[in-house]
Amino acid sequence: MFPTIDWSLILLELLITMILVVLVVLDLALPKDTKKDWLGILSLAGLFGLIGFWLTQRALVGTTFSGMFMMDSLAWFFKGFFLMAMVFVIAMTQQFFKSMRSRKNEFYLLLWLALLGMCLVASSADFLMLFIAIEILTISLYVMTAYLKSDKHSLEAGMKYLILGALSSGFFLYGISFLYGTTRSTHFEAIQGFVSSHAMAPMTAFALVLIFAAVGFKIAAVPFHWWVPDVYQGAPTPVTALLSVGSKAAGFVVLMRLFFGIFASWHGQWTLVLAALSAVTMCYGNLGAMFQTNIKRLLGYSSIGHAGYLLMGAAAGSALGASAINFYLLGYLFTNLGAFLVIVLFFISSKSDEIKNYAGLVKRSPLLACTLLLALVSLAGVPPLAGFFGKFILLMATVKSGLLWLAFIAVVNIVISLYYYLMVAKRIYVDAPHTTSIIPVSRPMRLLLGIAIVGMIGIGIFQGPFLDVAMTAVKGMYFLPK
Amino acid sequence: MIGLEHYLLLSGIIFSIGIVGVITNRNVLKVLLSLELLLAASNLSFVAFSKFNGDYAGQLIVFFVILVAAVEVAIGLAIIVLMYRRLGTIQADELKELKW
Repeated sequence: MFPTIDWSLILLELLITMILVVLVVLDLALPKDTKKDWLGILSLAGLFGLIGFWLTQRALVGTTFSGMFMMDSLAWFFKGFFLMAMVFVIAMTQQFFKSMRSRKNEFYLLLWLALLGMCLVASSADFLMLFIAIEILTISLYVMTAYLKSDKHSLEAGMKYLILGALSSGFFLYGISFLYGTTRSTHFEAIQGFVSSHAMAPMTAFALVLIFAAVGFKIAAVPFHWWVPDVYQGAPTPVTALLSVGSKAAGFVVLMRLFFGIFASWHGQWTLVLAALSAVTMCYGNLGAMFQTNIKRLLGYSSIGHAGYLLMGAAAGSALGASAINFYLLGYLFTNLGAFLVIVLFFISSKSDEIKNYAGLVKRSPLLACTLLLALVSLAGVPPLAGFFGKFILLMATVKSGLLWLAFIAVVNIVISLYYYLMVAKRIYVDAPHTTSIIPVSRPMRLLLGIAIVGMIGIGIFQGPFLDVAMTAVKGMYFLPK
Repeated sequence: MIGLEHYLLLSGIIFSIGIVGVITNRNVLKVLLSLELLLAASNLSFVAFSKFNGDYAGQLIVFFVILVAAVEVAIGLAIIVLMYRRLGTIQADELKELKW
């Protein structure tokens, strides 16, 4: 009997694939010397269409392809997250490659491929499917990282990312093989059934550690963070933005599926491990960021620190912790992408990512300076911005789960992080500029910067509706323990 | 009689050789070869579990893994070629531009 396939569940991914194919054909059909950036324009139009379509999919729940693919509220939430992140990344790409001689059309195709990978990660209901989805995402990221092939830094970053990324997928696969060996299945549902009726055996614990290593690599948690500063600095800035938001969020979907869903009945056994990792990760990220001179590298360390904050929610292990992760990521999307948008626009006019060149930015472009300041302050967690309320619920979830010491370490870290974020803010606002040339910002870019600002402030002030969305995403999740 | 544990032991040895190779080798090509060993070790344990558990999904997974391994090598070699053209070396310790 051939199983029936419910195509409506996977329609979003099919549409993404269709757009990808259309763009490939268009890339071949367009004359080589076209001035207009057709692929970029069509990508943006396609994304807005997809966001509209995504809104209609809210109530969609079910599994298809023999249980390999599922659609639930968590997948829905994260697909929207990835689509919104991609709007920023594609707009950044358009700007970034205006000042470069390299071809950019293939870059759009790789971005769409990465988007497909991320959406599939959010919807995987089987470890084989999850492995393939993660590989689709990661392999397109390898290529994009090394994309500026005449740039030493980009190549070096690509090589390092490839070696460590392949190492982590090796771990992941080896972990899956042992999980398959003990549970006799790779289906999430079957594994959950096994987990709820068995105690944790050494072999499954070993498998879990290996799988967590791969997830930790994606979310940039210590001790799997070695690639982060180098790759963030060397990769083209739009890729850095995608790594810091999209790829990290994809890691957290997997983390939530595993630790809040499938393996939830073994929760007691890893609370302390996750809490310890969270503490070490945030300390490492925030202490490392203090001495950085390159803004992308600084945000790389800060991204490690944020992985630490987010892991608090996972260590809390409650529904509140999971909702806090969702909410925090939502604020992090606007904050971090706003910051990277400023970095791209600044790079175009001054060809530099060094923090010392940001001196006096407020005199050269008040809008860029204001967005970067808000983003940094929101990352640090100052009220009333998105980062503050996100940290607040994460801390609340941690305290409610009895991990008071972890909450204390987090508060200390937030204070440390204020130092380096405000050092950059001081450069922008207080120091005298080296040149007084105005940095031009085009109208669409102003609109996008405005969206980022509205996002940061809006999520910080009107938390209610966003928190609702974050909580419903967790409540309707598949594989929640009964 | 060769049992499941023998296969797992072999796959564990191959996996360890791969890890040690990635850590100790300075030549990027050798690192790439060691990374392939990691995937080969997983394939071996998938097939062994599949055989001894009497479930054929494990053997199916191996095909997907081989595909992914091929893609990874293709990308890796492409980056190595670019690196050789640009830097004139394929030694990993020459990759030291990005440091604080």
